[in-house]
Amino acid sequence: MQPEDLLLFAADSARLMLESGGETYRAEDAAMGIISSQGGVEVDCFATSTGLMLSFAGEDGRVHSIIRRIKRRGMNLEKASRIDTMAKDLQTDKIDILEATRQLDSIERMRERPAVVKMGASAIGAGFFTLLFGGSLTDAAASTLIGAVVSLVILEFQHIRLPEFLTSLAGGAIAAFASLATQTFKLSMHPDTITIGVIMLLVPGVAITNAIRDTIAGDLLAGLARGVDAFLPAAAISAGAGGAFAIWKLLQLGGIG
Amino acid sequence: MILDPSSLLGWLKGPFFAACATSGFSVLFGLHSADIFLASGGAAVGWAVFQSLPQSGSPAFATFLAALAAGLYSEIAGWFRAKPATVYMIASIIPLVPGGGMYYMMLSTLEGNSAKSVEIGMATLMTAFSIALGLAVANAIGRIVFTSSLRGGKRNRQ
Repeated sequence: MQPEDLLLFAADSARLMLESGGETYRAEDAAMGIISSQGGVEVDCFATSTGLMLSFAGEDGRVHSIIRRIKRRGMNLEKASRIDTMAKDLQTDKIDILEATRQLDSIERMRERPAVVKMGASAIGAGFFTLLFGGSLTDAAASTLIGAVVSLVILEFQHIRLPEFLTSLAGGAIAAFASLATQTFKLSMHPDTITIGVIMLLVPGVAITNAIRDTIAGDLLAGLARGVDAFLPAAAISAGAGGAFAIWKLLQLGGIG
Repeated sequence: MILDPSSLLGWLKGPFFAACATSGFSVLFGLHSADIFLASGGAAVGWAVFQSLPQSGSPAFATFLAALAAGLYSEIAGWFRAKPATVYMIASIIPLVPGGGMYYMMLSTLEGNSAKSVEIGMATLMTAFSIALGLAVANAIGRIVFTSSLRGGKRNRQ
C-alpha cells in the first residue's frame, strides 16, 4: 500500500471514530496503531473533537501528513467499537491491510436505525426516566408521549440539517410547553418529573462527562472543545424552555389557561 | 434494610427503571442486540450502588462509587464480549449523568439568578467529575487485571 493511501486510511478511521463518539485518545491510538503496523515510524496524531492531524515517516524516510476536519459529532458506539477492534486486529496481524480497508468501508456504510425505532427508544427512555425520578405511572405515560414527539422533531430537524442549537431550542420549548399543559389541565401532580424525563433526551450529560474524561486522559484541548460542545446545547434547551415559560405567562395574562 | 418482599420489590424498582431507561438510550447510541442488555445491566448496577448509599452524605462520593461499579461491570462485559469497555460505560452511566443539572444551571442563568446558577453549576461539575474519576479508576483496574495477569484473554487470543 502506498504511504498516501495508508495515511488516508488511518486518518479516515480516526475521523469516523471521533464522529461516532469514540474517545479522543482511542481515535489517536487507532490511527497511530494502523500506521505503525504497516511499518511507518515517527507516528504522531493530534485529535480534537473538531479535527485531527496525523503524520509519519515512511520507509523511504519521507514525512507524510494529513489534516482531517470533523464536522459531524454523533453517537454510534457500535461503529466506534468496530473500528477499535479493526485497528487492534491489524496490529496483531489477525487481518491484513486490504481486509482492514474493506472492514472500514462496511463500517462507514452501516445503516442508521429507522426513525420509528429511534422514536420508540426515545419514548421508552423518557418514560422510564420519569419513573426513576419519582413520577407516577400517569406522569410516565405523558412523558413517553412527549418523548416520542420531541424525538420526532429532533429527527426531522436533523434530516433537514438544521444546526444542533436549533434542535435543542425546539426540544426544550416542547418539553416545557408539554409540562405546563399537564400542570394547567391538572393531569399530573409532578410536572417536574415529566420535564426532566423528556429533557434527558436532549441534555448533554454524557458530553460533559466525556469532556472531563478527555481532560483526565491528558487531552486538554479535546476536553475543552467537548466541554463547549456540552454547554451550548444546555444553553439552547434552557433558552427554549425559558421562552416557552414566558410565552405561557403572556397567554395566561391574556385569559387563556 | 429489612428483607421482606415488598420492601425488596421497592428497592429493586430503581435499578429496574434505570435499566429500562438505559435500554432506550442504548438503542439511540447505536448498540446492538446483547450489548443493549449488557449496558442496561451496567446501569442497574450503577443505580443500585447509588441508591444504597446515604444521600445525606456526599452525593459526589456516592456518584463516584456508582460510576466505579458501573465501570468495573463494563470492563468485565467488555472483556467478555471482546469489545472496548467504553461501549458499556457510556450507556451505563446514563442514569447518573448530570443532565438535569446542566439544564437547571442554564435556566437559572437565563432567569438572572446567578447565585443559584453557580451553585447548581458547581454541583453539576462535581457530579460529572466524580463519574469521570470513577470510570478512570475502573479503567485502570481493568487494564491491570485484563492486560497483565490474564494476558491472552479473549481479545489477544489468536
